[in-house]
Amino acid sequence: MTSVGKENKSWLPIILAAMTLLTSALLMISHALTAEKIALIKQEKKRASLQRLVPEELIDNDILQSTIDIFEPVQLGHRQTEQLYVGTKNGLLSVLAIPVTARNGYSGDIDLLVGVQVNGQITAVEIIAHKETPGLGDLIERKKSDWLEQFPNTSLNYPEIDRWKVKKDQGHFDQITAATITPRAVVSAIKQALLFHQQFLISNGVI
Amino acid sequence: MSEFIKTRLIDNNAALVQMLGLCPLLAVSNTAINALGMGVATISVVVITNFLVSLIRPITKKEIRIPLFVLLIASVVTTLEMVMNAYFHELYLILGIFIPLIVTNCLIMARAEAYASKNTLWLSVKDGFFVGLGFAIVMFVIGMMREVIGQGTLFSQAHLLFGEWGHTIELTLVENYSGFLLAVLPPGAFFALALLVAIKNKRDIKQKQPS
Repeated sequence: MTSVGKENKSWLPIILAAMTLLTSALLMISHALTAEKIALIKQEKKRASLQRLVPEELIDNDILQSTIDIFEPVQLGHRQTEQLYVGTKNGLLSVLAIPVTARNGYSGDIDLLVGVQVNGQITAVEIIAHKETPGLGDLIERKKSDWLEQFPNTSLNYPEIDRWKVKKDQGHFDQITAATITPRAVVSAIKQALLFHQQFLISNGVI
Repeated sequence: MSEFIKTRLIDNNAALVQMLGLCPLLAVSNTAINALGMGVATISVVVITNFLVSLIRPITKKEIRIPLFVLLIASVVTTLEMVMNAYFHELYLILGIFIPLIVTNCLIMARAEAYASKNTLWLSVKDGFFVGLGFAIVMFVIGMMREVIGQGTLFSQAHLLFGEWGHTIELTLVENYSGFLLAVLPPGAFFALALLVAIKNKRDIKQKQPS
């Protein structure tokens, strides 16, 4: 019995290594099989978000094809090159869809897309991806609460720029009960997008 | 109800008696629907991991069983998440956020170690299902308690789980309810769980008394 036990022991690392290889292989295979499909779904979601973000009457170009690559890690929180979508009407810039990442959410990044008209007014805000707490922070999602509905038609002039905060911080915007960090992060990210929009217009000679 | 099922659902309930998996139990039970989603996800994972752990019994040696189980459970959960994301995207949007949380559920490890590693495939699958069910039921009840007391609603956002039909079971029990934050926040989960444990203990004492 003891001799068998001893003999078995030398096999233990091999069994463990084999299992590690096997499970790693499983993970690699399932990643390889699903990665493309997942990327496709993400792209599709972005497309749908963009269509909700930019009302059709504002543009007459194919906004999905009209993109500018930007990388603004400091101002817009990007971790990689993101695409800015440019909507035009009669050849004139009418609306920008600006990607912005809030890095100061409760858990992980919150990716947003903010639609801003040329006059500085927000058309709508879309949450692209987040990992906020179910039932609390995730109420920022449109399908879970109407929290996002307070942003359309706001701009840097309304409310005034120093009131671009949640009410708890003497700002203008509603917070979410029991989840302060998430709305705080989202509001400040949207504000950054508006500031970026202003600079973009100035540097491109639109205003 | 057979003894096998009764032990797993009531007498030795994973949440109420063994106090296993309290992290997801307390964290995600703030509404009935969230609790239901997490419950379903937990049942499927524990059934699958129990099956696999039982399957590798011949190569599972005492000294390396824990790392083996950890490897297996982590890979199963990660694979499940990727597959769901790619092929059942609608379902993933609902349950997806819960899936990484399942790894923190020591209920799964406990079943692998205490049962699946010593029993046949079919028994292990059955064990996983009923232990998971017992956990899910407790979670669902806590979810209902917290939602009713905390928000004055029941089954809110059911459409996320059941589609359009879900809107018909979304109930607002109290109009203009101002909310009771304590029930929504984590302490509410502890209170609700404590209440259920107390009821369960009372029942146990009563049963022990000679009639």
